[in-house]
Amino acid sequence: MNGAAVHAVRGVSLEVRSGEYVAIVGPSGSGKSTLLQLIGGIDVPSRGTVELLGTRLDTLSDRKLTQLRLTHLGFVFQRFHLLPVLTARENIELPLAEAGVRAAERRERARELLAYVGLEDRANHRTTQLSGGEMQRVAIARAIANRPALLLADEPTGELDAATGREILSLFRRLNQDGATLIVVTHDEELAAEAHRVIHMLDGRIRGEP
Amino acid sequence: MRDLMWGIRSLLRRRLRTVLTMLGIAVSAALLLDMVMLSGGIEKSFAELLTARGYQIRLSPKGTLPFDTEATLGDVRTTIGRLRAIPAVAEAGAVLGTSVYGRRADSLVTLVGYGIQPDAQGLYRLESGSDIAQHDTLAVLLSRPAAELLHAGLGDTLTLLGRLDPQTVAGTISRDVVVRGFVSWVYDYRGQPSVGTTLPVMQRLAGGAGDRASLILVKARNDADAPALTARLRQDFPGLEVYSVADLVRFFKQRLVYFRQLSYILGTMSLIVSVLLISTLLTITVNERLGEIATLRAIGIARATVIRQVLIEGALLTIFGGVLGMMLGVITARYLDSILTSFPGLPAAFSFFVPRPESIVTAAMVVLVTGGLAGLYPAWLAARAPIAATLRSDAP
Repeated sequence: MNGAAVHAVRGVSLEVRSGEYVAIVGPSGSGKSTLLQLIGGIDVPSRGTVELLGTRLDTLSDRKLTQLRLTHLGFVFQRFHLLPVLTARENIELPLAEAGVRAAERRERARELLAYVGLEDRANHRTTQLSGGEMQRVAIARAIANRPALLLADEPTGELDAATGREILSLFRRLNQDGATLIVVTHDEELAAEAHRVIHMLDGRIRGEP
Repeated sequence: MRDLMWGIRSLLRRRLRTVLTMLGIAVSAALLLDMVMLSGGIEKSFAELLTARGYQIRLSPKGTLPFDTEATLGDVRTTIGRLRAIPAVAEAGAVLGTSVYGRRADSLVTLVGYGIQPDAQGLYRLESGSDIAQHDTLAVLLSRPAAELLHAGLGDTLTLLGRLDPQTVAGTISRDVVVRGFVSWVYDYRGQPSVGTTLPVMQRLAGGAGDRASLILVKARNDADAPALTARLRQDFPGLEVYSVADLVRFFKQRLVYFRQLSYILGTMSLIVSVLLISTLLTITVNERLGEIATLRAIGIARATVIRQVLIEGALLTIFGGVLGMMLGVITARYLDSILTSFPGLPAAFSFFVPRPESIVTAAMVVLVTGGLAGLYPAWLAARAPIAATLRSDAP
């Protein structure tokens, strides 16, 4: 590395419509996670623009971008990234509280979401007391807590065994059927096969694009 | 409340580290409290001691501080008469301090003798027995240590001797006196064997010519009148030193300036230790949790919330450590006070460490502000964590 810039993603043009379920696949280092981070506004492209719901992300201040992530985007990570000091319910309530939702309403919404992901009996368990699949379901519940327009998932089954992975796959299918727009980065062929559209990436480019 | 619970749980994730840090903060806070008490306590205690019997003004021989030398002032009755004639003066009484000896079996015991005017005395509190009467030239009042040394009880007759002849080791002047009461002498050091008689008796035991005293105590009718009365007495008695309580406190502060310097230095050091402790712990915690913080930022948690959370954890450490430190500080102050006040020559009623509410509030506020400042750097570190890069480095 002699100081020259390394472009993880280059020349990518991608449009995702509301209600679509898109899978991004490709080998490690192909730039798929970076693309997801650019779409999610947690990374900034050196060139080009990302537009979400008609708003160019590069025109937003950090504060507005944070607010947009809170209210319009949901993130699911490979390693769940739940707060271990909070219970499942409290983790789900976190983005709701940040959005200013009142305590009673938060509690009710968290209860609904826990029921949605099939974990109503695990509400008061610390995340360290949950299995990998349960943690990922809590993470999905947290991601959709503020009813985002777009759900972004980065290798959501990467840390799970096949059976648990299928549970998450089924949950994503249900989320999409319920109207969520999904972009999922995955190595999991089964998960990718569920998508309406599969985008293949290689060396930072979408395969088939110039 | 939610943020507080979150902060407490975060701190409990590394219990041993948190407890050790709190103990460190507690020790620093205790030291700081002790230093705050020491810096203000000495003068406060000294001022309280001086006004313990309500006398706000002292007159002593020219060029001396009260009881600082063996110099005496003369023509005491005239001076007292002139003082008592001033309308603003409520009471004025002379005191003569000298060395006397008490006979016990075949040996002599060295005593501190006070000659007092019973109608205007500001030196003792009666503990048991009866007070000395105005013209009772047979009476003597004893401190407990003196009574123990002399094996004397109420009503016993003692022989006091003055002006010991160094050749024969025998008193050239002696007087038999009767123990009327046991008293606590306000300015005595711990264990000091003191006896008190009327002024003329002690003057005779002290020997020498004339109507002499070591100092005169003056009580103004109102505390508010004391400064004006002090100024007037300086004009009326140019041959004497006239001191208000404030004057004496000022002299005392000058003599003990090294105590204040010591307290400032140690207090500052304790603050620096607190800042380093809190800052180091929070920085380590933030660095360990950068992935978690990046996730929070990714899901839309504002920078302000992240900063607040780090500051809350710093504040919690400071509050719990500080409360523990305040308790520890009061306990150690008592212990240190007992050591320092046992130094010879210091009044037993004197305190170096005075646990006043304002000292505790001052120390607690300083510790709290310090804790807040110590949390700023780790909070800034948490707020500026790059989200994408941190998540990438946290990826498998």
